[in-house]
Amino acid sequence: MRTPFGRTSWRNVAYTAAAVAIAAGLLAPAEVAAQKPGGTLRIAILGEPPALDPHWTTATLTEIIANHYLEGLYTRDKNYQPIPMLADGHTVSADAKVYAIRLRHGVIFHNDKEMTSEDVVASLNRWLKVSTYGKALAPKVEAIRATDKYAIEIRLKEPSAVLIPNLAFENNFAAIYPKEVAEAAGDKPNTQFIGTGPFKIVERQPDRFIKMVRHDKYAARSEPASGWGGKKVAYVDTLMWIPTPDPVQRINAIESGEADFTFDATADAYGRLKDNPKVRTEITKPYYWLVMVFNQKKGLFADGTPSGQKMRQAVLAAIDQEPVTKAAVGRPEFYRLDGSISFKEEGKWWVDVPASTYNQKDKAKARRLLQEAGYTGQPIRYMTSQEYDWMYKFALVAKQQLEEVGMKVDLQVVDWATLVKQRNDPDKYDAFTTGIGAFADPTQSVVFSCAWPGWHCNPEADKLIDQMRRETVFEKRYALWKEAHKLFYEWVPVIRHGDIFGLSVMTTSVKGTAGMMRPFFWNVWLDK
Amino acid sequence: MSRYIARRLVAVIPVLIVVITVIFLMIHLIPGDPAAVMLGPNATADEVAKLRRAMGLDQPIYLQLLTFFARTLRGDLGNSYFLDRPVAQAVVERIEPTLLLTVYSLVVAVMIGVPAGIAAAARPNGLLDRAFMGSALLGVCVPNFWIALILIYFVAVQWHWLPAMGYAPLSSGVGKNLRYMILPALTLGFNQSALIARITRACMLDILQMDFIRTARAKGLPERAVIQWHAFRNALIPVVTVIGVTFAILIGGAIVTEVVFNIPGLGRLLISGILRRDYPVVQGAVLFITATYVAINLLVDLTYALIDPRVKHG
Repeated sequence: MRTPFGRTSWRNVAYTAAAVAIAAGLLAPAEVAAQKPGGTLRIAILGEPPALDPHWTTATLTEIIANHYLEGLYTRDKNYQPIPMLADGHTVSADAKVYAIRLRHGVIFHNDKEMTSEDVVASLNRWLKVSTYGKALAPKVEAIRATDKYAIEIRLKEPSAVLIPNLAFENNFAAIYPKEVAEAAGDKPNTQFIGTGPFKIVERQPDRFIKMVRHDKYAARSEPASGWGGKKVAYVDTLMWIPTPDPVQRINAIESGEADFTFDATADAYGRLKDNPKVRTEITKPYYWLVMVFNQKKGLFADGTPSGQKMRQAVLAAIDQEPVTKAAVGRPEFYRLDGSISFKEEGKWWVDVPASTYNQKDKAKARRLLQEAGYTGQPIRYMTSQEYDWMYKFALVAKQQLEEVGMKVDLQVVDWATLVKQRNDPDKYDAFTTGIGAFADPTQSVVFSCAWPGWHCNPEADKLIDQMRRETVFEKRYALWKEAHKLFYEWVPVIRHGDIFGLSVMTTSVKGTAGMMRPFFWNVWLDK
Repeated sequence: MSRYIARRLVAVIPVLIVVITVIFLMIHLIPGDPAAVMLGPNATADEVAKLRRAMGLDQPIYLQLLTFFARTLRGDLGNSYFLDRPVAQAVVERIEPTLLLTVYSLVVAVMIGVPAGIAAAARPNGLLDRAFMGSALLGVCVPNFWIALILIYFVAVQWHWLPAMGYAPLSSGVGKNLRYMILPALTLGFNQSALIARITRACMLDILQMDFIRTARAKGLPERAVIQWHAFRNALIPVVTVIGVTFAILIGGAIVTEVVFNIPGLGRLLISGILRRDYPVVQGAVLFITATYVAINLLVDLTYALIDPRVKHG
């Protein structure tokens, strides 16, 4: 081949291209030869998502699927910190009340339209009106307006450190739709599945599959992939999301070759699967911390009476966290004990809480506190569900431990739909089980929310959290977060049991998975 | 005959009204909230309450029931809360897998049950009789989900002969469809073959004691012809009844089998609907299954006249 620089060969061109790619940090050297485009990746998922509109629901399944066809202005990197996605960057005014966000050029929606500021403004306004996190932020937002075709401005009523983390959080997220789609959906679930993501939805047959194909006009970022952000490449041609409610069948599907990937697998199967040469397992951290949430509005654990707080402290004193957490997952690879409200993986927000605080296992103290609270053996209605096996298992052990110090626990085992209804009714329960995952910013944590079931309405905590929202210097925010932890263990709005980890199972042909808290399938390829 | 059919159809109306009312009350009175399921685990109580109002779930139960009746009479089963489509469409989409599973299972049940019953009756208390009736007892006792798990473990996971789960519609080819349906049909059919075998045996034993059978043998007919043309033909009515009932039972049995094998049929629609409290879907699916059950029973009754000329409907 003749070039302006002299004679060269195709081989040299190939070497140069590979070297450029490696130098640019886009590909790890070992992966240059390995990545293969093409194929269909079949993912066995635990059911049909309630909607495919992440503005509208906080359901995890919606979050995972929607993240493939939609993107937000920001997302989170491998250390769970915000990084730009559709945004090019931003500046903040000196008073921290005005955010000027520049948008990337040349981002194409699945309907071939280029994303501009009017799409972003319409989407963010809908998100503020419809989503749980948006609605929490909305009272602080004065206005969102387009300042240019590729720039927007968000004006706040008061300084805020949580705007960007909120825009970056992948659950119930601030996805960007075309303006007409966002406006047409209003406050109903959106059914026009058009976004900017590396995959686009082409067919949905409820309870059978959701089919996505590569978005050929996807505008990838140039930075190396990190977490949910950076360069995204759709290596596989097609993603098939196959609802498979039975957890045993999800694993059978991998072993028999009917599916390539599944997540939220039960830890029980790990021992067998890790010895299967045709299957690869991945333990994902963080996943959830196990939690017993108290009803602080009414009943034995209610606020407003000194006995309520003493009762909660008695429960904390009585619990031995090791057996409770171990019961949930069975194997040591799948749990750890920790007292921080933020996960270790969230790095800078993690707080070192002494074991003597979160794992007291002091039965004498528990009995004394119960006596001081005037407890006389009233039944404690503790709701749990077998639909999430781990919830039921840890509740059983917790019940046993509480009964050892003289509490009478009425363990009410209901299906998940019943639990999520009854936990909104303060007359129906004293405590319920759930799992708490990571949040974009500590201030989002539901355990400090007066609006979330359990109703943790503590003016002192509210004040601290509000200060944290307004404070923009990290060191000061972290100091406030440590204060919040102290308050958390005095007030005891919930019992924070240990962390459990997730299990993803895949065939050995699936390569490039990131092992993050939630799975995603860009930058993943099939080596068949 | 047409008057008989008309009379039976009229009798169906109160049955359907009772079924609809009972299922409506049951699904609405058990705790659980579709709004809370839809909005996800981190939604606040206020958001859930607001959505309940928007869905009309805060209305008194009798008002919701009346609205449902009025809509159903107009032929409108409402819209699914979760599936983004009318219930009627969701039900129609699920008929094919359930119908095929039921038919394939019935074929399995009849092909195992009838010959086993006849063979057992031909030599009562013989080796074959004891072997078949022992298997039949096993078939009745063993829950079909256990049979399903055993079949999946060996045939799909260990030997990779057939898929462990899923469904291929008929439009993708009969062969492909059959590949996905063999294990579910065997699971469901084996269970029901036991009942058919026992009924067939009992009826055949009754008939084989009768005078006309003695006459047939006396006039020198070979035993095979006696059993095939004289005994079995006369034993058919109760056998057909039990096959009809089995067909209806299979529709119910398909619910568990569809869930285990991940077949997107009516059974899975119903179970998912119950778990996520998709009230319109549960009501629509139960209404359809009930109507099918009633129709099968009517067809079975009509079949008697075809098998036995002595039976007249009027």
